[in-house]
Amino acid sequence: MKRFSMLILGMFITAALLTGCGSDKPSQSSGGTSDLNAIKDRGVLKVGVKVDVPKFGFKDPQTGQIDGLEIDIARAIAKKILGDPNKIELQAVTAKTRGPLLDNGEVDLDIATFTITEERKQSYNFSEPYFTDGVAMMVKKTSGIQSINDLNGKKIGVAQSATSRKSLQEAADKAGVRVQFLEFGTYPEIKTALDAGRVDVFSVDGSILAGYLDDSTVILNDRFAQQQYGVVSKKDNTALANAINEAITEMKNNGELDKLIQKWGIK
Amino acid sequence: MSGPFAGFKWLALIRDWSVFAEGFAYTIAVSLLALLLALILGVLFGVLGTSQWKLGRNINRIYVEFMQNTPLVIQIFFLYHGLPHLGIVLPVFSVGVLGVGIYHGAYMSEAVRAGIQAIHRGQLEAAYSQGFKYQDAMRHIILPQAKRMALPPLTNQVVSLIKNTSVLAMVAGGELMYQADSWASTSLYYGPAYIVTGLLYLIICLPLALYASRLERRMEVRA
Repeated sequence: MKRFSMLILGMFITAALLTGCGSDKPSQSSGGTSDLNAIKDRGVLKVGVKVDVPKFGFKDPQTGQIDGLEIDIARAIAKKILGDPNKIELQAVTAKTRGPLLDNGEVDLDIATFTITEERKQSYNFSEPYFTDGVAMMVKKTSGIQSINDLNGKKIGVAQSATSRKSLQEAADKAGVRVQFLEFGTYPEIKTALDAGRVDVFSVDGSILAGYLDDSTVILNDRFAQQQYGVVSKKDNTALANAINEAITEMKNNGELDKLIQKWGIK
Repeated sequence: MSGPFAGFKWLALIRDWSVFAEGFAYTIAVSLLALLLALILGVLFGVLGTSQWKLGRNINRIYVEFMQNTPLVIQIFFLYHGLPHLGIVLPVFSVGVLGVGIYHGAYMSEAVRAGIQAIHRGQLEAAYSQGFKYQDAMRHIILPQAKRMALPPLTNQVVSLIKNTSVLAMVAGGELMYQADSWASTSLYYGPAYIVTGLLYLIICLPLALYASRLERRMEVRA
């Protein structure tokens, strides 16, 4: 009986903690412009970026510096909102954490090879695309795989939260081959699985894949389904989303974005 | 309404319920086979750990200490990513059954060993005096009594075992946690996904845990 009442007590405490957190949030984030003002008051823009995608967002293991196209875009947005390109605070995100970190306010926006889809637009604000890529496939040189037509019965390793699975499935259906998908949490894990022969193909967006190329592997020429990357912010931060969009559009129009893409030697 | 727990996200989950059902069934299948393996290993190594045969006791120690003092995740990674480099490619289902089964076998063997050692040595001596051989005394006299002692900790191990099958999510295991991760990260509707997944684990583990504490209480009265 004692044990039971302790259990009930425990449940009450948990419920109180949960609702406590829950009722805090809406009051903070209600109203569009106040969010933008909150960032201005704080004086720093918190940005979620990748740290394992060379040329987009990559942490140099020697210097500890995070650099890439997406970091430069973050700087441009900070300049637009705060007037200073250096007022950014970078946080490493993965495909799995970038959504939750936006929701709980740990980051203001994600610039993290985040592909725009209709389904995702229901949960978050996506900006105009700043980059377009296609899904590519990496195989071992010894596998003899030349194109999607050779993939009958093969296993394809893809990243969780990546859109490559859907587009590859469509391409495989068209080519009339049966494939199986295995999903992993991070890109290095897929590479490990490829090396171990657990998967026959490592497939993510081409630009990401290029960072994992080595002597034993080759990237096939096929590209599938255009993937458009957007800057992502919380659904109810409309003022922030507008400011981001303005910044991106401006960068597109004045050629700054093209210059950055060239600077990083992408495509 | 937006936010991680928006209504339309729950509706999407209900529409895709079969993804979670598939993972749930897979988790139960892996758990049952891993449990069977763990029980066999547990009794085998538990008995070995109490034997007068020194080598047997040493084998028990090596197995138990090695499995208990390395993370399950590393053991699973070794089976999944490591063995293929040695030319052994186990299907992921077997990786789950073997990995989780062998890991929990170590814990179960400790429970079995404790159960056997809790039986007064007079029982074994009495059995010998009646002409029982060691194996027969174990089987008919000691183990049935030890079973009562070991059952509550063993049941708790079953709960851990079921929850630990979730590490398979890291190697594309196809079980409940993997399916939840996969669904949540594609749609980004992680709120409902992980709540439902947590509840699914709860409905198998909670009854077992309650059963274990009832067994424990019953023992307290008798002792």
